Amino acid sequence: MARADTLARARELDRPELAYVVRFSAAGGTRETGLTRAELARDTDWATARLRDHGLAPGQRALLTASGFEGFWGHAVIGALRALKVTYGIAEAMGWDHRRTSVFHRELRPHAVIGLSAETLEGLAGGADIGEMFRATPVVLARPAAVPVLRAVGVSACLLTPVGPALALECPERGGAHVNGAEWRVGDRDGQLFVAAGEQRTSHLPETPLGIAGRVVPGRCGCGSEDPRVLLAEANKPS
Amino acid sequence: MAGDRDTADRYFEPQVETMPREELRARQEERVLELVEYAYAGSAFYRELWDAHRVHPRDVRSLEDFRARVPFITKDMVRAYRARTGDPFGGLLCVPPEELTSVSSSSGTTGDPEFFAEIWQDAPPLVTAQVRDLWELGLRPGDRVLSPPGTFRNLMDPGYQALGAVVIEVDTWMGKMHEVVEALRTYRPAYLQMMYPQMVELEHLAEKTDLKEAFSSLKGASCAGQPLSRRMRERIRHDWGIDVYEYTSAADTGTAWECREHDGFHLWEDTVFAECVEVTEDGWRDVPEGELGELVATDLDNRAAPLIRYRSEDLVRLSGDTCGCGRTHARMWVAGRRGDETLVRGRSVVLRDVWQAVEDQPETVAGVFQIVRESREVDELRLRVGYDPSLTGDVDALSGRLTEAVRERTGVKPVLDLRPEEDLLKTMTSVAKFPRVVKS
Repeated sequence: MARADTLARARELDRPELAYVVRFSAAGGTRETGLTRAELARDTDWATARLRDHGLAPGQRALLTASGFEGFWGHAVIGALRALKVTYGIAEAMGWDHRRTSVFHRELRPHAVIGLSAETLEGLAGGADIGEMFRATPVVLARPAAVPVLRAVGVSACLLTPVGPALALECPERGGAHVNGAEWRVGDRDGQLFVAAGEQRTSHLPETPLGIAGRVVPGRCGCGSEDPRVLLAEANKPS
Repeated sequence: MAGDRDTADRYFEPQVETMPREELRARQEERVLELVEYAYAGSAFYRELWDAHRVHPRDVRSLEDFRARVPFITKDMVRAYRARTGDPFGGLLCVPPEELTSVSSSSGTTGDPEFFAEIWQDAPPLVTAQVRDLWELGLRPGDRVLSPPGTFRNLMDPGYQALGAVVIEVDTWMGKMHEVVEALRTYRPAYLQMMYPQMVELEHLAEKTDLKEAFSSLKGASCAGQPLSRRMRERIRHDWGIDVYEYTSAADTGTAWECREHDGFHLWEDTVFAECVEVTEDGWRDVPEGELGELVATDLDNRAAPLIRYRSEDLVRLSGDTCGCGRTHARMWVAGRRGDETLVRGRSVVLRDVWQAVEDQPETVAGVFQIVRESREVDELRLRVGYDPSLTGDVDALSGRLTEAVRERTGVKPVLDLRPEEDLLKTMTSVAKFPRVVKS
């Protein structure tokens, strides 16, 4: 097959280990860090385990809403869905593309919606009852500003959010979003989160204040994970 | 610019890209015959349609049989099947839904987005079929690319990374061009995917920013979604120093890109069987090579939901002549879409003429306009045009000049609705497409 042959040829190339330069907002302005292919593979394994915790399994469908510049976590989530043999549909997370989310949701009836944004919800609210739409969806992983909007209408949304260059994903216990403790160190100071690269990470990232209001929950999660968990003020404010 | 570079390492898959056409034809025939069997066995849509036309795979033993017997399909036929059966894939699926890796979709500018079912390994199908084009543009392992403005037809990054490129995560969507320029200076990328609204934004930035310097690291940039006007293209190439590669849809089977010769869009004919035909009420005929006809495409590398003899509504000229780049795969030149022509009290008005008139006014040089019509035949030519407020002192004066310019070009006096450019661009419902013909 033509495309398979193209990719086979591509695998012969002398490709660099670096896959992404991740730029993210921090308290002191935009910062950057590298993401290698090996790190992407480990991030994918971690995301696979987290999505499996949500009950995602072969034969199910998911809808991922993400933007073009979010590949550093979107790529890992897509890899996880593929590993779990969950077919995914993809739409933009930006508000103007809410119609695509609506059509995917109506036609594919996904088991999980991942990355739902407040902008998408705002667009959808113009023509649909958001509560009715998502209450029947077993897994809803939403961005911080979308979480309170969904919870206010009875949707058991869990949080998904980038924490700087790391991905935070809440488990069904809803006791804060997990960050991969083997790869990242997260903490809080004066009510603000910071992140630093773990020792395994190739690109050194010193402790970096993120300007995100929140705190880290100490102790083991009810799901059994020892990963640090973050609670974001934005995701927990009343809608 | 890229066109001036060494061409020794020009082809990513030289044997395929420069394959003699007879060999390519033989490969297509082999693939088409397999496809007909496969689709009849797996797709409810094709089985129903072909049974109704008394077509059975056993009767299709050559490309000639295929073209003589297998009926055309249209988007409306698939939509009708979808509406009738509730199957979101319009009956096209040849595999159980759980075997799909992903589902992407069209922009949905003219209705509900259409689904594209995908099965893939290292990278999604659309960007994988662009790997050869990106190699031709000059992209090589270790080069940096800026992340694309949207997720388009799936995440594009795995395709870039298959080539060994490093993706720099930058929000390149509308309104962010100043950040893009900053990122260009910082990261010196080799490639950037652009869309029409970004060009409009850059046009405004050009007055205060040295874009030629900012873009100087690029081996090339691509642009899709709609054709660039000659004026915009010259601006991008000469004033901003970007070797811009336009690409277009290969009738929803993939994409077709310009090569460094910038002389037509290459179809990858090991992935698509392309026909250029004229369809009438009485039947159809092949259009002589080089003349205008409708592109009809058959997917040769899609086992999820292949399109077979799909009428694209794109009016193209097609040539099988070997390109100056040495590639043997056919090239096409796109003239427009069937149905884009508007008849105003019987007089034909085409987009190109309106575009020229709009671009000729300094305040509307970016060419942001739409024809507003309920049907193809109308009593008045209603135009919605975006102007640059910073260049527009007197909207009424602009309206007068533009009315006259459109009348001169088209022979029809338009009814104008002038709006700030940005307001008009914000009405886009697609990452890629600014619709030129709208109903309201």
